[in-house]
Amino acid sequence: MPTYTPFAATGTPSDPAHTSQLDVADDLLSLLRDTTTEPRPDTQLETLTLAVAADLPVLLWGEPGIGKTAALTQLAAALDLPLTTVIASVHEPSDFSGLPVVGDDPAEHGVPMAPPDWAVRLVRAGRGLLFLDELSTAPPAVQAALLRLVLERRIGALRLPPGVRIVAAANPRSSAADGWELSPPLANRFVHLQWTHDHEVVVRGLGGTWPRATLPRLEPERLPEAVDFARRAVCGLLAARPGLVHRLPSNETRRGGPWPSPRSWEMTLCLIAFATAAGSSRDVLSLLVRGTVGDGPGLELLASVDRMDLPDPEVLLADPAGAVLPERGDLRQAVLDGVVEAVRGRPEKSRWDAAWELLVRAVDTGAPDLVVVPANTLAALRRPDWDVPAAIERLAGTVSLSRRADDVAARSAAVTARAGR
Amino acid sequence: MIPDAPGALDLDKLFAARLYAARVRPYLATALFALHTVESRWVPTMAVDRHWRCYVSPGFVDRTPVEELAGVWVHEVSHLLRDHHGRGDRVARERGLTGPGERLRMNIAADCEINDDVFGDGLLRPEGAVEPTALALPAGQLMEDYLRLFTLGPRTQDWAWLDCGSGADGLEREWDLGPDGAHGLSEQERDAVRFRVAQGITARPGNAPRGWKRWAEEAFHPPQPWRELLGAAVRSAASGPGVGEDYTYGRPARRSAGVPGVVLPSLRRRPPRVCVVIDTSGSVSDAELGSALLEVAAISRAVGGRRDLVSVVSCDAAARVVHPLCRAEGIPLVGGGGTDLRAGFAKALRARPRPDVVVILTDGQTRWPDTRPPCRTVVGLFPRHQAGRSWDEDDPEYVPDSPPAWARVVDIG
Repeated sequence: MPTYTPFAATGTPSDPAHTSQLDVADDLLSLLRDTTTEPRPDTQLETLTLAVAADLPVLLWGEPGIGKTAALTQLAAALDLPLTTVIASVHEPSDFSGLPVVGDDPAEHGVPMAPPDWAVRLVRAGRGLLFLDELSTAPPAVQAALLRLVLERRIGALRLPPGVRIVAAANPRSSAADGWELSPPLANRFVHLQWTHDHEVVVRGLGGTWPRATLPRLEPERLPEAVDFARRAVCGLLAARPGLVHRLPSNETRRGGPWPSPRSWEMTLCLIAFATAAGSSRDVLSLLVRGTVGDGPGLELLASVDRMDLPDPEVLLADPAGAVLPERGDLRQAVLDGVVEAVRGRPEKSRWDAAWELLVRAVDTGAPDLVVVPANTLAALRRPDWDVPAAIERLAGTVSLSRRADDVAARSAAVTARAGR
Repeated sequence: MIPDAPGALDLDKLFAARLYAARVRPYLATALFALHTVESRWVPTMAVDRHWRCYVSPGFVDRTPVEELAGVWVHEVSHLLRDHHGRGDRVARERGLTGPGERLRMNIAADCEINDDVFGDGLLRPEGAVEPTALALPAGQLMEDYLRLFTLGPRTQDWAWLDCGSGADGLEREWDLGPDGAHGLSEQERDAVRFRVAQGITARPGNAPRGWKRWAEEAFHPPQPWRELLGAAVRSAASGPGVGEDYTYGRPARRSAGVPGVVLPSLRRRPPRVCVVIDTSGSVSDAELGSALLEVAAISRAVGGRRDLVSVVSCDAAARVVHPLCRAEGIPLVGGGGTDLRAGFAKALRARPRPDVVVILTDGQTRWPDTRPPCRTVVGLFPRHQAGRSWDEDDPEYVPDSPPAWARVVDIG
């Protein structure tokens, strides 16, 4: 607060009142700006931070006025990078591709393309966060120039140093006044993040307490493991589902959004490694993956990651007594199905017995209905010289359960037959 | 949990019902098994929360036959799969619905959406289940639509006790274990389960009822209103490079003064010419056609076009709608006649100066030009619903020519 006001010294009788009014206004403003922060997990911001840390071009999609710029300010502070904001829609293409400067003999020396001052300062600083706002309302020629900046990191003759990270923001098609949209090749180069506001955060923030996100930290000792995990996740899925490697968006609804291609899968691999090294939650991973290859392939990848976490059937068969089965019913059934499949693949008496032991364990520790199908399949695998293990007695409850369901089927079939007559 | 203790939950009966439900609805098995059961004496029957826990009243299990229990299982899991709690919250926000009465209405509306096609085919309808017909409502609607159609009153009196839990309407219940309770599914896990179920249905669509197929198609891609899509398509066609607004060397740039001796391009605007070709040899309703035409006119004005730059080429059948509309909007109407869309297309392209964008409104039952036209093309496709029509299931062999790949296609209606 300034204590000295220049007007007060030269004051006429009316002036002191006037200046004091401004002083009061200043007081009021400083009171309004006096806010505190509280720690709060913020999935969106964590996702953005990881994508920026991975040095991939990020595109924030969000309605105007929901705090994209505020989030970028917080991100810049957290990463300790100076923030440069460029409003794309008020620039010309030459601001990004360089302004021609005519020397003595253009035919001899050529015409150098001079970069704008903010770019020069950014390059001189060697590091920073460049925020390209309002990407979707700039004319197409400006967008073309900007995309070269985003993707090749060049402004005229300058090349942005590796310490500079770039984030762009765009309004969704529905709210962009003179809508522009990404063509599929361009959409494929970005990590798309949908930016929404959290009602609770806004209300609490306006009340004086803004959230302070605890940003993810990459743990050095987890790096090799993270790379290994990411490679297994992506390669495991793509080996089984070749159709997912490249799939252009076919319908109008999905245009301009993320879609799978070798390039975006490589980005996904990178992001999975970052999220793993940071120990991020599945929700963060989900936003990253779905924002890179799209919802369908992203969810398939996440589902196959879930399956990767499941215990290996061979390990379970080797030590059925010490087996730990997942709590969730559908995952548990997937594990048991996997065990039965493993026995089918290499049918041996000892493995068959071990599988029965696992099924008994499953019945003892959880819902019996999901053991019925694996038990039937396993029973069908029996060879004539194999004796039925004693443990099978304990599956009697399951058998009666199955019989009860059969009865229902018979009864309702009878009802349908009567009704049809 | 000992099954034969007095008043205890009869788990065997409950799980036999779930097993039966999974047998008659194999595509829901993943979701059914993902539910975590919690015994609760608070719930009247069975209820779900948004974290995929299923609260079960032991008394209800005792007095309900297994057949009906199976129906209740499928009913409850349908609430979760169809995201009724999330949709309920969104509707409540959009329409300002508050209070337990509104949430009860949401529960009833959600039940109507589920019950009209979930039962039958081996699954018994539980006693007292809400059906749209009982409320004198049409079947086959979505929860959001049902909510507009009825109020609480004597008709809904029978269901005042209805309670499918916070998973059905988004309102927290006192028995809910909440997000931190044991065995809840995180948002990502819930999406994964829903995705697996949707995938199962789309992979083997033969045995799933129509309502489930629609759900599976839209589960992760909710349909966008066609106005927005058509608007975006026309806008991006009309404001793309080379059309409308671009840089030109025709006049000096405002920056030329600062860089003497250099010729810089300047930004000039040339309003786009939009030509609408209307093909209504089929049975497109006048209202749909009229609103689509008005939409195109409004969009082309929004991107800087003037009235005289929007023209319409019509086929005779449409004259009824097109003439008055064009007169009212001040749009020049070019020609008429011709039932082949290609003729209308050629006519649009013969116009001088040539249009920048051609918008075709058609029902798709037509031949398309063989070569790519020299301008951007947006196709507004009216669907055909009538039974026995060409792309009905009854005649799966017939496939009408689909619009060519160079056109951007928006489904209208």
